[in-house]
Amino acid sequence: MQETNPMEVPRDRHYDGTSHLWAHRDERTGRVRVGVDAFGLEALGELAYVSVDSPGAEVPRGGPVGTLEAAKMTSVIATPVGGAVVARNESVMSNPLQVNQDPYGTGWLFELTPTDWEADAAHLISGDAIGAWVQQERARLDEEAAEA
Amino acid sequence: MTRPRLLVDDGASAARGLATDEVLAERAGSGASPPTLRLYTYRPHCVLVGRFQDAAYEVRLRRCAEEGIDVNRRPTGGGAILMGPDQLGVALALPKQPGGLRQLMTGFSTNLIRGLATFGIDARFRGKNDLAVNGRKIAGLGIHRTATGGLLFHASLLVDLDVRLMTSVLRTPFKRIGDRERGVVRRRIATVREHAGRELPMSELRGVMAGTFDAVDRGAMTEDEGVAVDQRERERYADPRWLAQNNHVPDTTGRAAIRTTAGTVDVRVAVAGGTIKAAWVRGDFLADEHLIADVEGQLRWHTGDPDAIARTVTRAWDRAGAIDTLAPEAIVEAVNAAVSRATTGTASPYGCFVEPEPTHD
Repeated sequence: MQETNPMEVPRDRHYDGTSHLWAHRDERTGRVRVGVDAFGLEALGELAYVSVDSPGAEVPRGGPVGTLEAAKMTSVIATPVGGAVVARNESVMSNPLQVNQDPYGTGWLFELTPTDWEADAAHLISGDAIGAWVQQERARLDEEAAEA
Repeated sequence: MTRPRLLVDDGASAARGLATDEVLAERAGSGASPPTLRLYTYRPHCVLVGRFQDAAYEVRLRRCAEEGIDVNRRPTGGGAILMGPDQLGVALALPKQPGGLRQLMTGFSTNLIRGLATFGIDARFRGKNDLAVNGRKIAGLGIHRTATGGLLFHASLLVDLDVRLMTSVLRTPFKRIGDRERGVVRRRIATVREHAGRELPMSELRGVMAGTFDAVDRGAMTEDEGVAVDQRERERYADPRWLAQNNHVPDTTGRAAIRTTAGTVDVRVAVAGGTIKAAWVRGDFLADEHLIADVEGQLRWHTGDPDAIARTVTRAWDRAGAIDTLAPEAIVEAVNAAVSRATTGTASPYGCFVEPEPTHD
């Protein structure tokens, strides 16, 4: 069911190398959309449930925004960017597999208005650094597969 | 890895026990607490549903209230369980670890397996989250990742089990629960005492498990930890709204019966989204009871992807060295047809612990 090649990582967004969430800022509105990256989905497996808190909450970077249950674990969704949550993707809450099927598109999780985008984005992987990070993550997955 | 601190706790309330596990994992993630192994029992009795289960579907809530049985919601996934003095909770709280989840889960379950082997019990990791003995479940496992990156590995180990009580408080699709139905459940479950062949004291098992995890007894929780647990208990696990949550993914059920030269294969499944929550295989074919129990266990919380189902069922046959007349392809065909009907059919939710009512038994 995993339909995304982890090597195909869009270069137009920022990545949290720890939580494996991506953040994409809409230059026009200033809103930041957040989703799970393909490496995170490799670790999680297929999602069975996704729950994102109702919009309105102000959450610091790293704060909990929701929870998901996947084939291999449950996980708190810790936002890579602080701000006020303004939207959640109702579609993935009723069809969590959408996250596995289209993680960088229709499988997004929530949107927020960032408190300090520049400061939080500085902690994330972006631009030219993405290529090296992808290679490193790919090597890690290969190593884990070899050990399994 | 640093040797984990050992905490021992008996008679925990559901809210207290769950809050303690979660807080210690969060604090392990932030570095505020050391890696900790907690070996504990709940006070008699409590029912714990999985993170996204609908409690009203899984549990006879009125019966629990009448019996004074706590009902609460775990942070970990999986199905509803009954916990009390004869079920050992094993909770390992760790900071973010190098390595993949599969390896980490293997390490955790290997320690449990080594501990059980001390008593001559040959347990193996099965499916998403079970330890099984000859296809019969002896422990349920779960992993939860906190916002700090801390990890909680949890196991509920069946040292013994009151099947009568369990089937009276968990919802089952059986129309009635009698000796026959309890026998069906009992044949799917293994206990430490049954396989050890003696009335093994909980303290002896706990001592062995502390040893296999190389845990060090450094006394009780710190004052800071206690304050944090108090707060989490009050704000989450003792708040009725935590249990009352509903999820957005409805359960659906599907059934398929196919005729083969070996007999009729009758499969029912409960599905949530693309995940099989439970599968129930029945029929008039001749097959090893342990093999069928193993297949059912493997398919719990399994992807509904047809290719993955085929791989899982075939592996179970290979593992069993099966010489049964029933071919694995028949099970695969029936499971896939049942899943297809469930995912395209109407919602008909029920509790997933014991699975649908058997039609041939």
